[in-house]
Amino acid sequence: MKFRKIFYWLFLVLVCFLIPQNQGYAQKWFGAATYQISFPLGDTKDYTDNTSFRGVGLDFRYTLNKSTTVGMAFGWNVFYERTDDTYELGTEIPGAITGTQDRYLNSFPIMANIHYYFGERRGVRPFLGLNAGVYRMVQRLGIGISAIQNNRWEWGVAPEVGIIIPVDRELSIMFNGKYNYAFTGESVVGTDINHSYVSLGIGIVWQQ
Amino acid sequence: MITSHLKRNTILFRSIFFLLFTSFVFILNSCYPGEALTASDTDVIATFFNKDADFSTKMTFAMPDSIVRIDEDGNPVGDPGPYDQQILSRIKQNFLQMGYTEEQDPANADVHVVTFVTTTLWASGGCYNWWWGWWYPYPGYCYPVVYTYTTGTILTVMTDPENQATLDALWIAGINGILEDNSAGISIRINNNIDQAFKQSPYLGEGK
Repeated sequence: MKFRKIFYWLFLVLVCFLIPQNQGYAQKWFGAATYQISFPLGDTKDYTDNTSFRGVGLDFRYTLNKSTTVGMAFGWNVFYERTDDTYELGTEIPGAITGTQDRYLNSFPIMANIHYYFGERRGVRPFLGLNAGVYRMVQRLGIGISAIQNNRWEWGVAPEVGIIIPVDRELSIMFNGKYNYAFTGESVVGTDINHSYVSLGIGIVWQQ
Repeated sequence: MITSHLKRNTILFRSIFFLLFTSFVFILNSCYPGEALTASDTDVIATFFNKDADFSTKMTFAMPDSIVRIDEDGNPVGDPGPYDQQILSRIKQNFLQMGYTEEQDPANADVHVVTFVTTTLWASGGCYNWWWGWWYPYPGYCYPVVYTYTTGTILTVMTDPENQATLDALWIAGINGILEDNSAGISIRINNNIDQAFKQSPYLGEGK
């Protein structure tokens, strides 16, 4: 519960304070807010097979030159599945658990990034990018009247493609797709896995 | 004139941005979305086995004709329960279906199977309030909710009589669920859950 509060306040701080402070740096900074749909892959899909319709992303990018930005990206993707599948325990004492399970994965990527843009300023600009940083992975398995939870920081990368389409002088629309891959993952019961998912985003770009 | 127009746009876009993200936070307010649980949804069947055990050599079993009932303090209870014979019968039936042979004399059996049953009364409670009350616990917005429920646990343990000194079980099946159901419902759940414990333990039939 605590992380939700922290994340909520982080959003408020970023939205209310950080953006207005950049007013003096015309055209240097821009922000992007996206709604994201995510598709689990690999070990993440084994745990929660459902597509996630709960996701947001927040980007802040600093323009180095007309085709390159560096910045930070934050996100929140919620995966959930209720299942009756048998969960095989790859633990020291092997076994299996069956029952109605509520499987949750809350992924919070916090990453530094670099992007390269094609096209001309104020035109349609496809881009390629690479995000690298950490994921805060909050996994919870509710079964019966019990639940187990595993919260971890995991290192990872997220290659990205996207396009920015200007609407007017200050507002643009962004479509992007990220392949999120965490290479130091752990399952809810502590076995080694690698979380991965693809997130597709649509949002607005706020030009300063 | 142009400056004024730009300022109006800035306010408009910033407002859109803020509202959009506030909406996202509301949309995402639940890290743990979910659905309601029925009594049978609370059933959990967990099985564990000794990974060094050779189940292919264990094909005869002996089990007592009564269940060991334990109270909440861990003391044995003399009175039989209404489902005891049904539980024993179902366990025996599953062993026979997996190719085991019952031995009346425990001294001749490869494994001994003992079943324990216990019930526990749980009391729980919480604060039913609206969303903002979760963050800010204003006393006026909290409606205390207290509820109780009883859970039942069936624990079946398979031991190797030649290895009693180690106290290591070869196989353990634990079945747990809320007993808030009618007797027919509980009876069906007991049978289904015992069957599932064997279904998720295919190694028990290795010697078939």
